[in-house]
Amino acid sequence: METVLKEELIGKAFEELEKFLKERVTQSSMHRMAYSRDWSPRERNAANLPDLVVIPKTTEEMVKIAEIAYAYGIPIIPFGGGTGMGGGVTAWKGGIMVETKGMNQILEIDEKNFTVTVQAGITIWELNEFLARHGLWLPHQPESKRSVTIGASIGCDNDSTFGLRYGKIKDCLTNAVVVTGQAEAVRFGQRKCSFSSTGYKLLDLLVGSEGTLGVITEATLRVIPLPKIRKVQGFFFRSLNESAKALERLLSAGLTVESAHLNCRNRLHFYTHTYREKFGREPDVPNWAEAILFLSFAGDEEVVEFNVDRATQILVQEYHSQLIQEREMVEGWWDSKHRLEFIPFKQKWPDSQRKKKFGSADIGLPVGRLDEGYSHYVELAKKWDQEILGMTVYNESPNKTTASISFAVFVDDSNEESVRKFYQYVREMSEMAIELEGTMSSYIGDGDRLGGFNKLEHGRSYEYMRRIKEVFDPKNIMNPGKKFESHWIRKDPNE
Amino acid sequence: MNRIEELAVYKDDIYTCNRTRCGFCREECPVYRVNRYETFSCRGKMLVARGLMEGLLEPSREMSETLDRCLLCGYCQARCALKNIDVIMAMRQHIVQTGLPAQVHRENTNKILKEGKLFETQRLIKRQGDTPFYVGCLYRSRGKELSTIFSVCERLDLHPRVGEEACCGYIVEATGFSHEFEEAQVRCKENMAAQGDGPLLTLCPTCTITLKERYGLPVHHAILAVHQKLKEPDMAKKIKPLNLRATYHDPCHLGRMLGIFEEPREILQQLGVEIIEMEHHRYFSTCCGGGGGLTMVDDALSMEISKNRLRDAIGVGVNTIVTVCPTCETVLGRGALRLLNETGEDMEVLNLWDLLDQSLKGSVS
Repeated sequence: METVLKEELIGKAFEELEKFLKERVTQSSMHRMAYSRDWSPRERNAANLPDLVVIPKTTEEMVKIAEIAYAYGIPIIPFGGGTGMGGGVTAWKGGIMVETKGMNQILEIDEKNFTVTVQAGITIWELNEFLARHGLWLPHQPESKRSVTIGASIGCDNDSTFGLRYGKIKDCLTNAVVVTGQAEAVRFGQRKCSFSSTGYKLLDLLVGSEGTLGVITEATLRVIPLPKIRKVQGFFFRSLNESAKALERLLSAGLTVESAHLNCRNRLHFYTHTYREKFGREPDVPNWAEAILFLSFAGDEEVVEFNVDRATQILVQEYHSQLIQEREMVEGWWDSKHRLEFIPFKQKWPDSQRKKKFGSADIGLPVGRLDEGYSHYVELAKKWDQEILGMTVYNESPNKTTASISFAVFVDDSNEESVRKFYQYVREMSEMAIELEGTMSSYIGDGDRLGGFNKLEHGRSYEYMRRIKEVFDPKNIMNPGKKFESHWIRKDPNE
Repeated sequence: MNRIEELAVYKDDIYTCNRTRCGFCREECPVYRVNRYETFSCRGKMLVARGLMEGLLEPSREMSETLDRCLLCGYCQARCALKNIDVIMAMRQHIVQTGLPAQVHRENTNKILKEGKLFETQRLIKRQGDTPFYVGCLYRSRGKELSTIFSVCERLDLHPRVGEEACCGYIVEATGFSHEFEEAQVRCKENMAAQGDGPLLTLCPTCTITLKERYGLPVHHAILAVHQKLKEPDMAKKIKPLNLRATYHDPCHLGRMLGIFEEPREILQQLGVEIIEMEHHRYFSTCCGGGGGLTMVDDALSMEISKNRLRDAIGVGVNTIVTVCPTCETVLGRGALRLLNETGEDMEVLNLWDLLDQSLKGSVS
C-alpha cells in the first residue's frame, strides 16, 4: 500500500524498533488498516494508513521510539480511544502510530491524598471500575468513556458529563509525564497538589495539545469519593436562553447541581434511542417545548432531596418550566448520556448512524447568545445541505453556566463533495462563533480540521503557539498535520 | 484483486462500524485484553473487512491467524447493533476459499466428515430411556462426567435415551468451512432420524445453539428440564443445601446467544449456593477462552483469557466459579491450574451438574 514517507527510512526505523519491541511493532498493512481512521467525518472509504504501528508498554520504551522517529524525521501519532471527532489521530502525513493502550497499568492509588497515578493508556471506564472498589471515582466522564483513555482525554480536552460540578480533566490533573518531540520524558505539573503559583503552568499546555507537543505516558489525577445517591430530573422550557438563565439562578441560590445538559427538540430524539427501543414509541414532549434541560444531583440522600425539591420549585414557579413526569424518558436519556446501559444488541451509536454519520460544530458561546447561535445553526446547516441532528449545551466549568455546544448534523459520507460541504458548514459555524464572541471549538479540538484557520480566533497569540510547539518539537514529528494545518478547512476558501 | 462477495452482503454494517468507531466493543473483548493491536478487537476487524471488501487488503496467512484469534463469543455484538460475528465468519470463509486456513482446522473438518466425531477419545454410548438426548463430542469423550449427568437425571425422573450420533459440525462452520458444514449436517441428521421427531435435550450449549439455529431442530438444553423438575412439589426435601459461596460464569452460547441466564442461577440458589455476580455477567459475560476454535490454534492465548476470566471472579471475592458448559469447565479448569502455579491464587472450577450430584445424592431414592 502507498506510503507518504520514504520506504527506506521506514524500513530502517522498523529494524531498530523491532530490536526492543519485538512483536509489538508491525509494518503489516492489515494492522495498519485497523488504525486508518477515527470518528471524524470523512468519506466512508477514507483510509489513512500509518507506516508502522507500535505498542510501547513503558515511558522508557516511548522515549526510545521517539529517539528513532527524531533521528529519521518520521511523524509520531499517539492513538488513544480512536473516538475523536476532529481527525486528531488520522495519519494523513504517514508515520508511526503509537497504540498507547499497551500502557494501561495503575501505578499507585493514594487513598490518603485522594490521587491515582496511571499509565495514560488506561481507559476511563477501566480506571473507574478500579476506583469504585476503593469507593472513589474520577468525575471526568466523556460519553466515549468506555473507549477513551486518560492520555486522549488530556490530549483532546474532551467533554465531561459532570463538568458543571467538577470541571473537565484539567481540573482533576495534578501532573503528567510527556515524551516530547526531543525524545525526552518530562514530568509537568505539581506532584499531588492541585495547584501551583510557581513557574509557568506548563501542565495546562498539555490539555488539548492533541499529541502535537509529545506523547503523554503517565498522569496523576485527583479523585473523589463516590456519591451515595444520584437523582436525575428533566424540565421542558419555552426557550434556550431562558433555560440557561434558570440554571444560573439555581447556582446563585446555592444549590449544588452535578450536571446540566440542555437539548433542543431534535437532539432529544437522538438521546431517546434507548426509550424507543424499550417502549417502541416516541416520548411525549409538549408542542411548546423548545428546550429540554436535564439536571443531575448527587451526594447524601437528604441533601440531594433538598436540592431536587428546591431546584424544581425555582424552575417551575419562577421560570414556568414543566417537570418531566415520565421517569422512563428521563432514565432513558440518562442511560444514553451516562450509564451507557443500552439494550443488548441495540447500542445507540452504530444504530443511529446506519445511513449518515454524526458530525458536529462544537463551538462555545457566551451564555446569553444561545438563541442567536441556534438560529445561525439552522440557517447554515440548510445552506450547506446538512441534515439537522440537534443541539446540546454542555456545562463544562465548575459552578457556573457555560455553553460548550454540539451543533450536530448527519453527514452524508458517501462522497467527497458532501463531506466537503460539512466542513464548509463547520467553517462558517466557527466564523459565526468568533463573531458572537465565542470559540471555534469547545471539546473536539483542532484536529486536522481547524489548524491554520484557527488563527482567526487567536490572532497574534497564534505565533506564540507556534513558538511553543518549536520548543517541544523542533523537528515537527509530533502529530504533524494537526492544530497548525488542516486537511479540510483552508484559511482562504479559494486556497 | 478479488472483491469478496460474502462481505458485500454486510457492506452497510461494515461501513456503519467504520463511520462510528465508538469502540464500545473493544476494551472488554477477551482477546483484545491480551493482544493490544486494534485488529484483535471487533472494531479493528471491521476495518480489515472493509479493506478486504474494497480490495485494499489481500488475504494472507497473517490475516488467517488474526481471524483465528477470535472466540466468536458475541460480546462485541451485544455491545453493538451490527452483525459483527457474521462479518467475521464471512472473512473466515474467505480465508478457507483462498486456501489459507490453519492446518488443524482442515484436519478437524476432515475428521468430522469422515468419522462423525471431533475427538479420538469419544466412546460409543447407547442408553435406553424415554427422553431423547444429544450428548455431543465433548461429553462423549468424558465417561465419568457423563455418568454423573445421567445419574442426576435419573434421580430427577428424567430417563435419557441415547443412540448413535454424529458431530453437529459447529467447529466446521466456525472455522470457515461452510460447504463442508453442509456435508456434516447431512451426516448428523441421518443419525438424528433414528432418535425420532420429538424434542431433544442437549448437554453442550454449543451443540444446542447449532442444532437449534442451524438445523432448525426442537432442542433444549437439559438444564431447562432440570429446572422444571426442581419446581415440582416436595423437591425441597430432596435437596441437601450446599452452603457454598460462588460466582456463576454464563457460557456464551447458553447465555448471550440462547438467553438462558436465570434458570442456572435459580437452580444454584435452590441448592443453597450464594451467588456473587462478576462485573461482566449475563448478556455481557466474557468468554472462558475456549470459543471459536481458539484452543486448537493458540492454547497460550486461550489460557491467558481463561486466567483473566478467573481474575474477574477473584476480583469479586470468591474462590469458586460454577458453569454449565463442558468447554468452559475444561478451559477454566486448566486456567485455574496455571493461575495456581504462577501466582498461588487458588480458584475452584465446578460444573453445575456436579453440584446437583452432591446436593441430590442420598436424598433421592
